[in-house]
Amino acid sequence: MSEARRSIFTRLVVAAMALSLALLAALWWFTHQTVAATLEAAAEAEVDVDLAGLVDIYASGGREELAARIADRIALTPAEGSAPHYLLADDSGRRIAGDLAAWPDLDARVSESGVIAIGAGSKGYARAVQLGPDLRLVVARTADIDAPVLSGIAFSFAAGGAVFVLLVALVGRFAAAGLQRRIGRINRAFREPHGDRDLLAARPGGGDEIDELAAHSAAALARVGDLMEAYRDTSEQLAHEIRTPLSHLDNRLVKALEAQPEPIVAERLVEARGEIRRLVQTLESLLDIAASKARRGDRTGLGPVDLGDMVGAICELYAGSAEEAGIALEWRLEPGVVIEGDERQLSRLVTNMLDNALKYVPEGGRIEVTLDPGPVLVVADDGPGIDPAEAERIFERFYRGKRRVGEAPGSGLGLALARAIAERHELDLTLDPPREGGPTGAVFRVAERA
Amino acid sequence: MERQALRILHVEDDPKSAAAVAEILAASGDVLVWEDNGSAALLRAGMEAFDVIILDRMLGDIDGLTITKRLRESGIGTPILILSALGRTSDRADGLDTGADDYLAKPFEPEELVARLRALHRRSTGREHSAVILYGAFECHVKARTAFRDNRHIALSPKEFELFRYFMENAGEIVTREMLLRDVWNMDFDPQTNVVDVNIGRLRRKLEDGFDRPALETIWGSGYRLLDGRAKPQSGERRP
Repeated sequence: MSEARRSIFTRLVVAAMALSLALLAALWWFTHQTVAATLEAAAEAEVDVDLAGLVDIYASGGREELAARIADRIALTPAEGSAPHYLLADDSGRRIAGDLAAWPDLDARVSESGVIAIGAGSKGYARAVQLGPDLRLVVARTADIDAPVLSGIAFSFAAGGAVFVLLVALVGRFAAAGLQRRIGRINRAFREPHGDRDLLAARPGGGDEIDELAAHSAAALARVGDLMEAYRDTSEQLAHEIRTPLSHLDNRLVKALEAQPEPIVAERLVEARGEIRRLVQTLESLLDIAASKARRGDRTGLGPVDLGDMVGAICELYAGSAEEAGIALEWRLEPGVVIEGDERQLSRLVTNMLDNALKYVPEGGRIEVTLDPGPVLVVADDGPGIDPAEAERIFERFYRGKRRVGEAPGSGLGLALARAIAERHELDLTLDPPREGGPTGAVFRVAERA
Repeated sequence: MERQALRILHVEDDPKSAAAVAEILAASGDVLVWEDNGSAALLRAGMEAFDVIILDRMLGDIDGLTITKRLRESGIGTPILILSALGRTSDRADGLDTGADDYLAKPFEPEELVARLRALHRRSTGREHSAVILYGAFECHVKARTAFRDNRHIALSPKEFELFRYFMENAGEIVTREMLLRDVWNMDFDPQTNVVDVNIGRLRRKLEDGFDRPALETIWGSGYRLLDGRAKPQSGERRP
């Protein structure tokens, strides 16, 4: 639902419907005003014509004749137009003839006209005239008798408008669905770059902007795919071409060791084998860093990982080493913190952080691991801390900081790899200032990218 | 305990690497059949029964992952160990996800290869998971989660018990760091620090404290082996 609400196409259809409604309302208002004004002018004309006739009758037939004709006119209900209302009264306002109950607030001496109340809850246009020294007449036409016309117009607008807006919605939705499908295909192609390759195939007869976008997207994805393939091939070849001879070399060293050489020679041979292992390890870390960087933001192949379980198992694994080194390793992990990720890579991220802490924290120190929802994973230690000037450089490949206790071994790739893995998962690995009440050394923090 | 000789199919296009593996396995008494290309290997694996298949990843014709996939698709469940120059975490993940049972990167320790092949074979033939595992002077009460040596109770933490149990299930065999990380800590890579050794060291101290015979033997570069712990070592013999 929220996705539908976010869709530009849904918003366009809603906007088109709102605009149609606004235009219809404005059109209705103008029509209403015009019709109302026309009806009012017609009522005025009717009143004046009626009044002229009655004045003639009075002039020719006198007061009695006028009263009689007024009574006649009231008795006749007109088939169309508004019903007439009269009041023939003397100067004190006493009714002589007519159906209006009281003299309205109109001055007969100046033939004043205006809107007056006719009965209860009804209004009309009226004009008053002075017929004689003690005789005056008011003629009125109810205006609200014309309301059916106006409500008819309003109804027509409402019914027609509803149909119109519905049609706008239907046509809009139909057109939007087509566009949405086409844009959706482009999005899906980017989301699942290894999925259906025909998603962005050219449409027969196509050639609009979206087709152009689809073609550009297909070309970009193909280029990225080729680059990734080239990268994979190169790194595989590199690993193969370096590891295979090293493996042969290692075999020879094993055979030389089996020949039971002098202890000093055996020691050198074992050292040489150790060097081979370290070389292989460095190569692997470099390739891992490059692979993680290349796949930054690429979410293919990721699955749900329970960080609490994973970090807990790693802390248990490291607890013994910490104890042996006289370091207190404490962990507080919020359960149920699950993210989409690659469990093996995330495990390496955490072990690299713990390795780093164990390497630098002196005996008697403390390492604190906390995991909070977000996720926010913090590894804080009691070590010597890191010079702020080095804060960014420690994440560079082969950079070894000044933060040393004795000669801690390492390739200088651990934190670079940790950061590359974090970035692959759209997480940030940063060095934070020490927290109040927490360990006073380095504080590494992994959190969702801001 | 007499080791059963395994019949192994080895698929490797590099003759030098193939010869090295042949030498290692000849020493352990196993029968090795070598194929230098994927098509021949697929044909052979479909026709003959093997205990384990060792597969290189980068072959000239069909790559190792495709072979694994095809073997699994055709219903051949023989345990597969991928032995490859591609040893990164993601390479291992690819291999295991495709259907291989284990993954070993070159260069490797000869003992480690043998240990893993044995472990794979044991896993595939299905070990009886009894409530009590006996080996030499050791007893592992799986349900009660208790350990004994010479009938003396040994207090172990939950993780130490898991480790002990794993050694008991693989009694007398080499257990590598990677096997322990994978099966005890559920981690598919070696953190390269001494964390496993330290945990083993702690278990070793508990198992050996007050006894004059060693309980765990370290095999350089490969892993560890649980000894039977008897006063007079009679290697490999299980107590009835």
